[in-house]
Amino acid sequence: MTGVVIVGGGPAAHRLAARLVGYGHPGGVTVVGAEPRPAYHRALLGSVLDGTLDAGRLALPALPAEVRQLTGVRVTAVDRARRTVRTGDGRALPYDVLVLATGARPRVPPVPGLETGPGRLAEGVRAVRTAADCRPLSEGPVVVLGGGIRGVETAWALSGTGQEVALVHPAGHLMERHLDAAGAAVPAAWLAGRGVTLHLGRRAAEYTPGKVVLDDGQVLAAGTVLLCTGTVAETALARASGLDVREGVVVDALLRTGDPRVHAIGDCAEHAGAVGTTVLQAWEQAEALALTLTGRQRPYAPGRRVLRPRTPGKDMVVLPPAGPARPDNTDGTDDIDGTVSLLDRAGGRHARLVLRDGRLHEGAVIGSPSAVAAVSRLYARDEPVPADLLALLTGADGAYAGDGTLPDEAVVCHCNNVTGKALKDAWHRGAHDEAALARATRATTGCGGCASVVRRLCTTLADDGDDTPAEGATP
Amino acid sequence: MTTRTLVVAGHGMVGHRLVEEMLTHDRHGRWRVVVLGEEPRAAYDRVALSSLLDGATPDDLALAGPDVLGDGRLRLRPGTTVTGVDRRARTVTCDDGTETGYDALVLATGSRPFVPPVPGRDLPGCFVYRTVEDVAAIRAAAVAGREAVVVGGGLLGLEAANGLRLLGMRPRVVEMAPWLMAQQIDEGGGRVLAGAIERLGVGVHCSSALHAVGAGPDGRADRVELADGTVLDAALVVFAAGVRPRDELAAPLGLERGGRGGFLVDGWCRTADEHIWAIGECAAVEGRCHGLVVPGFRMAETVARQLVDGAGEPFAGADGSAKLKLLGVEVAGFGDAHARAPGAIEYVREDRRAGTYAKVVLAADGRTLLGGVLAGDTRAYPVLRGLTGRELTASPDELLTGAAGGS
Repeated sequence: MTGVVIVGGGPAAHRLAARLVGYGHPGGVTVVGAEPRPAYHRALLGSVLDGTLDAGRLALPALPAEVRQLTGVRVTAVDRARRTVRTGDGRALPYDVLVLATGARPRVPPVPGLETGPGRLAEGVRAVRTAADCRPLSEGPVVVLGGGIRGVETAWALSGTGQEVALVHPAGHLMERHLDAAGAAVPAAWLAGRGVTLHLGRRAAEYTPGKVVLDDGQVLAAGTVLLCTGTVAETALARASGLDVREGVVVDALLRTGDPRVHAIGDCAEHAGAVGTTVLQAWEQAEALALTLTGRQRPYAPGRRVLRPRTPGKDMVVLPPAGPARPDNTDGTDDIDGTVSLLDRAGGRHARLVLRDGRLHEGAVIGSPSAVAAVSRLYARDEPVPADLLALLTGADGAYAGDGTLPDEAVVCHCNNVTGKALKDAWHRGAHDEAALARATRATTGCGGCASVVRRLCTTLADDGDDTPAEGATP
Repeated sequence: MTTRTLVVAGHGMVGHRLVEEMLTHDRHGRWRVVVLGEEPRAAYDRVALSSLLDGATPDDLALAGPDVLGDGRLRLRPGTTVTGVDRRARTVTCDDGTETGYDALVLATGSRPFVPPVPGRDLPGCFVYRTVEDVAAIRAAAVAGREAVVVGGGLLGLEAANGLRLLGMRPRVVEMAPWLMAQQIDEGGGRVLAGAIERLGVGVHCSSALHAVGAGPDGRADRVELADGTVLDAALVVFAAGVRPRDELAAPLGLERGGRGGFLVDGWCRTADEHIWAIGECAAVEGRCHGLVVPGFRMAETVARQLVDGAGEPFAGADGSAKLKLLGVEVAGFGDAHARAPGAIEYVREDRRAGTYAKVVLAADGRTLLGGVLAGDTRAYPVLRGLTGRELTASPDELLTGAAGGS
């Protein structure tokens, strides 16, 4: 048999090739990658950029010798009828199974001057996508375009090196897909504290080498412009081959396209309406497909994976929505219970959790290491949340100063300034119901808002059977 | 022992609280109390004013029972306005020409409704909402089925809107702030409140400034124009846009006023004249006026204690806690509802199914309750308000759901 041809040289392709060999795939495995070097760990490119990691250390482990690797080779066409792919260097590679792992390319925002031609970035402009993007930066300030997770990570990494950094983001706050405005204020403060200048609610209007002009006319000096404006799935090959493409190459639970001999995984694939994966999800897909292709059919079910933006020294976790909310048949709304949030501006802490059926559906926790750890665990395991959510979010011990009732010294009736102790004393002097307590203390005779507390106090005292003198009861 | 005379200028809720405190604590009858009230009736529960549109009568609201009214130490003179004071002679002059000597004078003149200075504010069909007479006039002018506008989306404005609804009118509320009851509650609570108010059939226009009241062909108010150009039909307009202290006696008496008006008093509610105090909404205690009744009660108690015992505690300040309860709408704010204390932590629960919103504001220690907002379900209000300034006695989740202590 001719075997499996994998198109793409990224982590998804790498993991699939390694697993196919590991699981004893009987046919050949060929990986065709357009980049001039073997697969590497793309998610760590930011660490190369800020100098904490050498580019050479990004490489993923060498693939087994059984895998045929073609690097720097572009696949130009797929002939599905003949089950053959054609390459830019004139080869024709036959396949039994074709796997598209073509990944994604940076999205270039439509700003005049960023590109000199289709797909050709202007001098001083780069994405953080390929190893080539991590060559040393030019002199001068860096302007990061995009304030999503990648933009925040990049600005964080560079600002730690003494680099002058400005971040431009069209939304009113950072990471708006994952955080509300109050939550985003926390990482914004972190970045500002590292000297990053934030331009929120602003777009780049024009780029000329050396400077970025914003839509409000501000001019930012820019030795380098880094694009952190998201990615676009690489689907040209799939589209040209007549496969179903929406945002990505559409695949079913077995990661199959409409052609049962063609699969897609990783950033180029669109599974269950979602395109774009984390490297962990890409690896999960590679794992599932390797099992399926070696005879152990394994549908891909996305795991509950938290996102941990890399801001070393500061803790942050994003919980992506755990599947779509299910419509509730009774009133036409969905089955979300509600939200719980914590905001501690001075302490730099924020949390927002969306609950469904008493479990974590979605959310974010920022600035509290213990809460980040506890919430991540509950989310990943899909476990019920504890009753005391404040303690969960603050990392407190959950101990409180009483039994939930008012202490004796607390004022019960504010209209008449009557304390719990005064009420208890009156009860011990014989005022055993609400009316008698009202006559004795005037409690409840103002706005009446305290009546429920007074009634409860009567019940509690009666249940206690406690009619010893006041002195004894309230030492 | 000679009997001394206390003259109370004003017989509102706070003036009456002073009377009650005096009669209760002055066991030896050393004081006689003269109350000069501008309104034609004795003190009544102004907070419950709206109940007049829901079946209550003015008598139901009366605060003074027969025991107080029949007390020989008290002389009540409704319909009497104080026009002047001779501080040296220690006499009070009234609009009926009488002069009354005093040993102690307590100013409890309250406040007057603030009416924004816009064209048309004096047209027939424009009302304020403060007295029994105001409510009677609104009732007489109401036209069932017609639109009405309430200017002001605070506690009073919402009560007025509900009253108009009970009279069969179709009220809308116009509020300058971005949400309703902005003094007492936060934006999240305001969202729940606006939804509930709209479900009652009351229109809500926030972030809206009043531009003018327009007249119809008959010369009566028939519409309200907003600053953004919106025109709202309004056969009746009620102004409930806040109050201003009734401090017009300050100038003739030569007493100092606070920065925002009100008789300037110290923490014991004393003016610069050792024989004159001021309490309630007309008092600027250490410069600050308080527009709610409970702080006024505390001031009355402070002054009564000084007069009776020559002692007592100073006014300790009071929070702006307030609760609104209209048909199907419950919201409350208490303590530091806006989390203004340095280091304050906000904990918020929104229950989408129940349509409720609850915020608890804690001190930086994460344990001491500073305040909060409740919307949609206020059962936890009395307990949380009582705990304000103290350590939590259970988790906020427990306290909010009523699991602690039941309810």
